[in-house]
Amino acid sequence: MSEYQQYLQERDKIDFFIQKGFTIKSVTETLNGSFVDFVNEQTEEKERVTLHVATAEGRKYFSVMILKQQKGA
Amino acid sequence: MADLRINLAGIQSPNPFWLASAPPTNSGYQVQRAFEAGWGGAVWKTLGEPILNVSSRFAAVSFNGQRVAGFNNIELITDRPLEVNLKEIAETKKKFPNHTIIASLMVEPKQEKWHEIVKKVEAIGVDGLELNFGCPHGMAERGMGSASGQVPELVEKQTYWVKEVAKTPVIVKLTPNITDITVTAEAATRGGADAISMINTINSLAGVDIDTWNTIPHVAGKGAHGGYCGPAVKPIALNMVGECARNPHINVPISGIGGISSWRDTVEFLLMGATGVQVCTAAMHHGFRIVEDMIEGLNNYLDDKGIASVMDIVGKSVPKYSDWGNLDLNYKIVARINNDICINCNKCHIACEDTSHQCIDMLKAANGESILQVREEDCVGCNLCSIVCPVDGAIDMVELPNELPPMTWNERQAALGTMACDADIIKR
Repeated sequence: MSEYQQYLQERDKIDFFIQKGFTIKSVTETLNGSFVDFVNEQTEEKERVTLHVATAEGRKYFSVMILKQQKGA
Repeated sequence: MADLRINLAGIQSPNPFWLASAPPTNSGYQVQRAFEAGWGGAVWKTLGEPILNVSSRFAAVSFNGQRVAGFNNIELITDRPLEVNLKEIAETKKKFPNHTIIASLMVEPKQEKWHEIVKKVEAIGVDGLELNFGCPHGMAERGMGSASGQVPELVEKQTYWVKEVAKTPVIVKLTPNITDITVTAEAATRGGADAISMINTINSLAGVDIDTWNTIPHVAGKGAHGGYCGPAVKPIALNMVGECARNPHINVPISGIGGISSWRDTVEFLLMGATGVQVCTAAMHHGFRIVEDMIEGLNNYLDDKGIASVMDIVGKSVPKYSDWGNLDLNYKIVARINNDICINCNKCHIACEDTSHQCIDMLKAANGESILQVREEDCVGCNLCSIVCPVDGAIDMVELPNELPPMTWNERQAALGTMACDADIIKR
């Protein structure tokens, strides 16, 4: 799979969780990329999901989503 | 005809083209020839206690047929008595009263030494002084030149000593042989410098003769490091000028030096914050009359852009020069190959495949002809293909519309930093 295809998959997952009402709560950056923690505050159990974002474009993408999230807050 | 006159810290010059302190400004004969050719100013070869030179002093680096891509020298400051130089400066100034003569000075880092030479030189009438804190070879072994220029405290103190007695503007010439030139530039301004100039030459060894195993150049079989200049150093100099020009603590004019060989180079230095330029290697390579093309080219450039005075372009690119962390991570350009111009040499494909991001495909067109095509989604906009392409116009680097809003690394990190705080609060 090309890096671009991998990015598209990562972007789709990020979009999916955001559309489901999740927000990004924290990011852990490691040698293998970023682990992005999503929380859905709208659910009673405050559902949590962690995405591993490895591509450079994917890491840019969730960063833009964080900026949007913070501007919208 | 645009106004090419400059005013650098109160020093007037008929144009921004000065000869740098170096072999071309060793004598009145040479400087007068230069002024006749059209140079606006000259920084006289550094005055100080006359030195002894060695034989075999210069070496050049040629690259792929371009002679003097880089130039290396181990010549020291003037080897002539001060009174001889001063007499010739006075004669030259009398003949060319409207041209700029700056005296480059270098003495031991002692207050009385600086006071003595400043008073003697100013007494014969120069337009300004340039303190040589940059020469990297020979004199540095004696505690002068770059040995002084690498110690911010010495730069500040010696500048201060000169300013105690100087009546003309003082330019401090800085060495590039230092990690961060803004540190010594700031020291010069704290010492009271009216202007700074950069860069002096870079520590270098031009080469080694693989048959004799001698250094190039060598003096009876022995070599020593020299100072590197010429076109090869221009990018280094341009960055240092830009770094100083955008530094809010360095509020003095800059005289740009380093590989300037044409009017285009000159415009680049002026845009990046230099008020004028100093030239050496290009004059040594081509003679004083290269200044004719430089004047004509600069004048035409300004006229074409409708700019009345050369001073109007000084520093215009400085706001565009920043830290990497302030660049937009979401700005995107990609390569596009124009197959009607492409000669199918495949250099772009090889460069991309071997050393970049493997996004140029070799395909067959419907008519069976070989074509090269960029997979734009995989192209990172590195420019390598267009750099190695031997045909102008065969590869364009094209801006793509932004899919994402602008975001710098610094903005990203600030946003992530805020997230970390949030996470900490949640954990508690």
